[in-house]
Amino acid sequence: MPDFTPQNPKQVWQLPFQNRNEGAWPMAVAFLGSDRRIAAGDRDGRLLVWDLAEPGDAPSLEQQQKTPGAAPAPKQSLVGHTNGISRLATTPDGTILVSASFDRTIRMWDAAAAPSGSVDVIVDHELRDAIAKKSGKKTDDATPATKVESLTSTHTLEGHKDWIDSLSLSADGRCLLTGDQSSLVIAWDVAARKERSRWSGHPWNWVVATALTADGETAVISEYRYKRDDFDIPCPALKRFHVADGAEQLDLLKVQFPKLNPKENTYGSAQVWRKFVANGLVALDISPDGKLVAAGQGGETDTGHVHLLEMETGKLVRTISGHQYGATDVKFTADGKFVISAGRDTVIRICQVDDGKEVAQLGKPRGGQFKDWISAIALSPDQRTLAATDIGGWVHIWTFG
Amino acid sequence: MIDHLSRRTLLKGTLATSAGGVVMNWGDLFHGPASVAAEASPTKKRCILLWMNGGASQFETLDLKPGARTGGTFRPISTNVAGAQICELMPKIAQQMDKLAVIRSMRTSEVDHPGGIYLMHTGYRPTANVRFPEFGAIIAKYNGREATDLPNFIKVFSQADAGAGFLGPKYQPFGIGPEGSLPPFSASSQSPEVESRRYQLRSFLEETYGKVHRAETSKMHREAYEASRRLQGVRKVFDIDTEWAKHSELYGDSVFGRRCLLARRLIEEGVSFVEVSQSSYDSHADNAVWHKALVPPMEHAWAGLLVDLHQRGMLDSTLVVWMGEIGRTPNINNRAGRDHYVRSWSTALAGGGIKGGQVYGESDATGVDVKDNPVTEGDFFATIYSALGIDPKKENFAGVRPIPLAPFGSKVVAELLGS
Amino acid sequence: MTHRSDDRRLTRWPFAALVVLSFAQSAWAAPPLQDVIDNEVHAAWQREKITPSAPSSDAEFLRRVSLDIVGVIPNYDETVAFLADPSPDKRRQLIDRLLDDPRYAKHMAELWDVLLFTRNPPGSEADKREGLQNWLRQRFAENTPYDKLVRELLKAEGNSIEQGPPLYFVQYRQRPEDMTEAVTQTFLGVQLQCARCHNHPFEPWTQQDFYGMAAFLARLQIVSAGKAENQNKLMVAEKSTGDILFTGSVKDDKPGKKGDPVAPKFLIGDPLVEPPLPEGFKEVAKFEENKPPQPPVFSRKDQLAEWITRADNPYFARATANRLWAQFLGRGLAHPVDNLSDANKPSHPELLATLARELVEHQFDLKWFIRELCNSQTYQLSSAGPESDPLPRWFQQARVRPLSAEELIDSWQVATGFESSLKPDAKKKDGRFSPIDGGYMIRFFGQPNTGTGDFQGGLHEHLFLSNGPVSQLIVSSPGSLFDSILKSTAPWNERLERLFVSLLSRAPTDEERQKFSEFFSADEKMNPDRLRDAIWALMTCSEFRFNH
Repeated sequence: MPDFTPQNPKQVWQLPFQNRNEGAWPMAVAFLGSDRRIAAGDRDGRLLVWDLAEPGDAPSLEQQQKTPGAAPAPKQSLVGHTNGISRLATTPDGTILVSASFDRTIRMWDAAAAPSGSVDVIVDHELRDAIAKKSGKKTDDATPATKVESLTSTHTLEGHKDWIDSLSLSADGRCLLTGDQSSLVIAWDVAARKERSRWSGHPWNWVVATALTADGETAVISEYRYKRDDFDIPCPALKRFHVADGAEQLDLLKVQFPKLNPKENTYGSAQVWRKFVANGLVALDISPDGKLVAAGQGGETDTGHVHLLEMETGKLVRTISGHQYGATDVKFTADGKFVISAGRDTVIRICQVDDGKEVAQLGKPRGGQFKDWISAIALSPDQRTLAATDIGGWVHIWTFG
Repeated sequence: MIDHLSRRTLLKGTLATSAGGVVMNWGDLFHGPASVAAEASPTKKRCILLWMNGGASQFETLDLKPGARTGGTFRPISTNVAGAQICELMPKIAQQMDKLAVIRSMRTSEVDHPGGIYLMHTGYRPTANVRFPEFGAIIAKYNGREATDLPNFIKVFSQADAGAGFLGPKYQPFGIGPEGSLPPFSASSQSPEVESRRYQLRSFLEETYGKVHRAETSKMHREAYEASRRLQGVRKVFDIDTEWAKHSELYGDSVFGRRCLLARRLIEEGVSFVEVSQSSYDSHADNAVWHKALVPPMEHAWAGLLVDLHQRGMLDSTLVVWMGEIGRTPNINNRAGRDHYVRSWSTALAGGGIKGGQVYGESDATGVDVKDNPVTEGDFFATIYSALGIDPKKENFAGVRPIPLAPFGSKVVAELLGS
Repeated sequence: MTHRSDDRRLTRWPFAALVVLSFAQSAWAAPPLQDVIDNEVHAAWQREKITPSAPSSDAEFLRRVSLDIVGVIPNYDETVAFLADPSPDKRRQLIDRLLDDPRYAKHMAELWDVLLFTRNPPGSEADKREGLQNWLRQRFAENTPYDKLVRELLKAEGNSIEQGPPLYFVQYRQRPEDMTEAVTQTFLGVQLQCARCHNHPFEPWTQQDFYGMAAFLARLQIVSAGKAENQNKLMVAEKSTGDILFTGSVKDDKPGKKGDPVAPKFLIGDPLVEPPLPEGFKEVAKFEENKPPQPPVFSRKDQLAEWITRADNPYFARATANRLWAQFLGRGLAHPVDNLSDANKPSHPELLATLARELVEHQFDLKWFIRELCNSQTYQLSSAGPESDPLPRWFQQARVRPLSAEELIDSWQVATGFESSLKPDAKKKDGRFSPIDGGYMIRFFGQPNTGTGDFQGGLHEHLFLSNGPVSQLIVSSPGSLFDSILKSTAPWNERLERLFVSLLSRAPTDEERQKFSEFFSADEKMNPDRLRDAIWALMTCSEFRFNH
């Protein structure tokens, strides 16, 4: 695996991915085999693919931000999901894109497949509206939509009966793990597209994040559910499982809090774990060597810390200060030396695993307490390009080195 | 059932020793069998308020906007009433839709919590001049029983604090904690002997003082003392543990479900108004996530309550009101939340006096405004009072100022009434 | 103001002369204020065809005026002495004595503390307020003119602990809108809160009025001055620049819309004339901590404090007179007291005008004003009578109001001789409501706290009285009420007298003597449990619970 170097980060692209529908912002992003091909999904179920030019050919960022058409238009629209896309992953060979959705299905896409047709897509409403406003109109309704190739999924995996919030793909590309909001986890054989195993957590909980070891044999599951009432607060879970049979191996949260009682839902019992879990450990990743798990505090929370825990013992190694107002995504670099996290502070932070020190920060806090948080990140296979979606309706691309 | 009559007979001995005076609020007991019979066959309707504190979103509950810009993440589902759809988070309520009258055209006038909570409990906006009573106090006054051991106005985990307002302490709410606990000092700390001795002396003192001091404050003080004593005999009504085991499936395993069961039990015991609240709907952040967490246990309990009341033959005499203090914005903010909105939002009524199986009023395509049949807070309360057999034009006096139950100019929504 | 009887003119003459000499020449011929009060109230009775209740008995008066001026019932010895005192002007003497009592300042300070901060101040910095409470107590003890007191409070100099006043603004956490609402309502009886979001529907106030007033407070900053006894010492600093922004009606508000600056303007008055900033003026970027903040070039806040307390401010004197009247007479002439709007007409408009005028002429002398109120026949009417409204609109019967939490605990302690059970210094340590938990006292008796009625007690209060820790007050140490009655060998009658005078500040009636003798003689000798029962009943009955 190539090493990751956090030096000289530079943003080269800023692709609009806007939607007039309220709250329908991009939520998931992935590279498709190369650092020049990107997929991103939004909360409406739109899933688009872009092909990027050489970084050297990119227009200035300001142009991309202000001029419709300056940033590259999407190339393909992957059609099929009927509700928000929560997570995306790509097999290591870059051939298969997997998407998890609130429509309760998982879809697999062959990025190289021939288009099935074409569809109209508009991704720069806000840019167009801003221009229309200058000429006294409320919104832009004159400019025609962009026609892009449409692609249908090759397979749909069904089995979940509730929103699928989490998805992980093992580094060998063979095992897929998905979790839904009825606390059901399903492990899938990617090649056979069949269930390998399934298990459930606390019936009240949601599986808010999953992570898999490189060999796909071991999983870490984060369960959380937002409170049902101030005095009815389900106990979250952070557990390690054997994927083949869904056997629980270690209760990582219990290691932190031996007194934890998962059956308790009182206000008092929530005080035991609240500081550690905040509003759910919604961002999860396992280090390439399988020794560490990173868990980021999500939801809207003051702290947004990222905890690094030992896979074997569950012991807390260190806590990285993280993202004020909440973390949203976390990834180890392929060399295992860095952890990259994103959050509601509108910033991407790169920290050294060894000492937790922050070595780079991408983007700036964009002013105001809450502003267009970053919803997801992805690192290219060559480790030199990073993509991030924000809820202001943009996909940002940085390069390093 | 608590045997009121036998308890009375028991207490009568105590009363007789207290200088023979008639103790307030016990008048009926000494006035012949007619009033006892009247009590035994209660005809006045009761009311349960299910309160969604913080303001539940209409877009995520009763007024879905599929395909609209403002629709959000959830999808509509069909109900047992043809053509009426509600949020997918509410499958159990969808099966009780025939009992519900959903109002999709609420338009109210207090957009923040304190004002909204006050408004949707009293029908009036807060003013410095008049302390308006909560509708629970009004229902306690007009539909409550005079002679009762349980308070007529009980709240479980309520956030409202207007209380009895100008109706006075007699109709003050009795507050139960979020997990069903009685207020502090509810359990008697005295032996019955000491308690009755003290009672004897206190009653004597109150009486002699009350003979020449006619200010109603001392009367209230006396009545409240009586009420606090009578409560001792009925404390076990509040203990729902045994019954819960049998009903947890019907109401759903949640704290709100327990509160709803307690409400049914209290209504069954003759309490005229019970408010049951669920916290945390103020979803300025992560609106969809919060509603996905809050709505399912709530709707399960709500549906369970309707079924339970129906099975016991109590639904016709019990009005079940579902609302929060505000609705939520069509727009979704950059915290993934919906903010406060009162220009167009939704509530629901069921049971006593209400014609179920209907949707009244309509919001426009994006839910930004009411399209037809707007219902103001005044109309809403006028309708509630009418459903309960109380004339909304009835007046009380705050000082010398006459105050109608529902604000002047409110109209009863006749379409909602029926059975 | 014409039908004053001659004998009263004679008895009042020396006092009236003194007042006139020490204050205004123009008041030479004017009758004492207490007579104006009685005449105006009397005129209203005639007009409304109302028969007033009888004058209060000495015992009734003693208990009432003690609670009103020093916040506690009289003890046994004080009561016996007062009732036995044959002097014809003993009530006047009592009022003077009580006003000079240090407990007057303590009581006033406690009332004003809650008035300024409520039981739950908006900012938690104001949860502990000892500095401000001391400051208030001192001001009342010195009989600082009320206008001066308010001016000092609003100028907020010093810090929140050593001086106190800054805490008033600190509680609003740099929210000028909240400060404006509170200041105008508390000190001027003007309620602007509606005009914050939209022009007032039935008052003349516009949003421009509201923001014009808020502009005076928009530049305030809270600055830390270190810590003292684990509390933050906070100062109120003021910048020389910065404006409040007004965005128009809230319903038309849009995200991203910036407001327009509003210049300070006195309510129904002129815009503030401000000197220009000196050439090349540079604003303080951030006030330094632990240092007296650099004063602004021109203080808007001080201008507001001056304007509010000016003698010719159209609201200040009226609001003050009305509030003080309500404190002693139960309801405001305009009621509620903090709403002097046109829609809330006073019951006795001319009386209110006179009270306000006299207050100004007497330079906001609080003790003088209270003395006049308490010496009036109106104040001294009995509360016994047919009127069921505890706060009669025409003052034809004395008002009945609940004791505040503070009055209640102090009175219980005095009645039961609780002090006798304490080791030296013990009380101080145990807090204001010792031996009862202050949280409970506030919860069950903390409202209302204006000293003006509006009884809200429900059955919760009785659960507390019956089953709570009230009995801890019935101590049996030597010198306590319990002990002195239990150990006494005096005849029943005397012991019952002690019991009733200690608790109800009056002797028992024949009926009561009989009832209580029967109660105690159920046992062969005095049963201590029955004595406890009797004390409890007298501590919790209406006659104790209310100031009547």
